[in-house]
Formats: sequence, structure tokens, C-alpha cells
Amino acid sequence: MIMKKMPARVESLHELLTFIRAEAKKRGFSESALNRIELVAEEALVNVFVHGYAKGQGQVEVRCLVADDPSLTIEIHDTGVAFDPLSLADPDVQSDLTKRKIGGMGVFFIRKMTDRVAYRREGNSNILAMTFLNR
Amino acid sequence: MEIVVTNESDIAVFAITGRLDAVSVPQLEERLNQWFEQPGKKLIFDLQGLDYISSAGLRVFLTTAKKMKARDGKLCMARLRDNVKDVFTISGFIALIPAFDTLGAAQDAIK
Repeated sequence: MIMKKMPARVESLHELLTFIRAEAKKRGFSESALNRIELVAEEALVNVFVHGYAKGQGQVEVRCLVADDPSLTIEIHDTGVAFDPLSLADPDVQSDLTKRKIGGMGVFFIRKMTDRVAYRREGNSNILAMTFLNR
Repeated sequence: MEIVVTNESDIAVFAITGRLDAVSVPQLEERLNQWFEQPGKKLIFDLQGLDYISSAGLRVFLTTAKKMKARDGKLCMARLRDNVKDVFTISGFIALIPAFDTLGAAQDAIK
């Protein structure tokens, strides 16, 4: 397992995404798969930055797990308030401009662009595990 | 991310290059807020140089589309790269803001 821990704030975003993209690239994901992995990772990280810690002081940890099958699992760990992002309802992507709501897109992308995604609470940690298959 | 704003007759073109993500979004919001202080009604996002967009970026596009509708204006996008188009398609935003393959086609559409 390879991991990286940084302050849970937007200034950490690029360094964490560069780390994740490099790990995915080592495993031979295509360019378009890398783009999706990076997008999903940003959505999950920004959720933690924005909602995870009330006073904006906390850490986020990214773990890259490898399995025997050609897949990559990225886990995002934080010790903020207990929150399952997957409990949010999907936005209505069919609605017109007047009715279209601003929120909910990040979690929608996480659901849509991962092959598997699961949330769990362990002790005082939120863990979002996102798996990408290398096809 | 870099934003270059040009005006051709009554059409404003925002050429956005680089990454539109949670880090760079405030910069685009600020430029747009300035632009909305004047009464312009025609706006094009030229995305030829845009490498990456996340939901943070989409949020700004949606807010802009709503503001343009409120002032009875016209908004469209030009030259989306495949991965950017992908994000617009999955989110359904492609149906909310017209997209064109060339800048000329975008300009013709909102003349």
C-alpha cells in the first residue's frame, strides 16, 4: 500500500491529484481512464475539504491499494464528522436550466465513474473506497 | 488556469486554458462577476485550451447560464475537448448550454 497524508484543504489538491494520477499511471490505465480517476479523486477530496472538518483543521489521507486483478482502489480517509457522501441523492440530470440545482454533481461523478464505491466508518475515520478496473 | 477575455462587436469571448477545478474556480468567478456588472448579453466560453473540468467548474457554468437567462442573454461554448465534453455529457449540462465545434459556429449562433 502506498499512501500520502496532507492537510485537508484546497491547497493540497494538486499535490494529491498528481500523486494519485502517477500511481494509476504506473498500473497502466489509459489516458481517458486517468482523466476519470483524477476527476473522481478531486470530487472525493473536495468533499472532505469542504464538509469534513468544522474549523478547517484536519488531515486527509490517500491510500492506493493494489489487488491481484488489474484494478486500483483509492481510499480517502479523514477523521472529520461522520458523513456518508453516498447517502446523498443523485441530481436530476434531465431537468432544464430553470430547475437544475447547483449541488450534488461531485457525488454523482463518483458513483458514475467508479467501478465500485463504498463508504465505511472505522473508529473515528470516514473511509471512502473507490475501485477502478483496468480494462 | 488562464482566462483571456476578448470582445468582438457585442460578443464577449472567455478563452479558458488549463485546469478548471476547485483551486482555480474563484479566479473565473471573479472575472465573470466583473463582466456581469456591465449589461452584455452575449457570451461565449472558448474551451479549446481547457484540459480539465470538475464539478466545481460546472457549478460556475450553471450559475452563469442561469444569470444569462435572467438577463435574457445568450450563452454558448466552443471547441470542447473530448474529456471535457465527457464531463458535460455525463452531467447533462450539454443540454443546458449549447456547444459548437468551432468558434465561428458559436459566434453565428448568438449573433
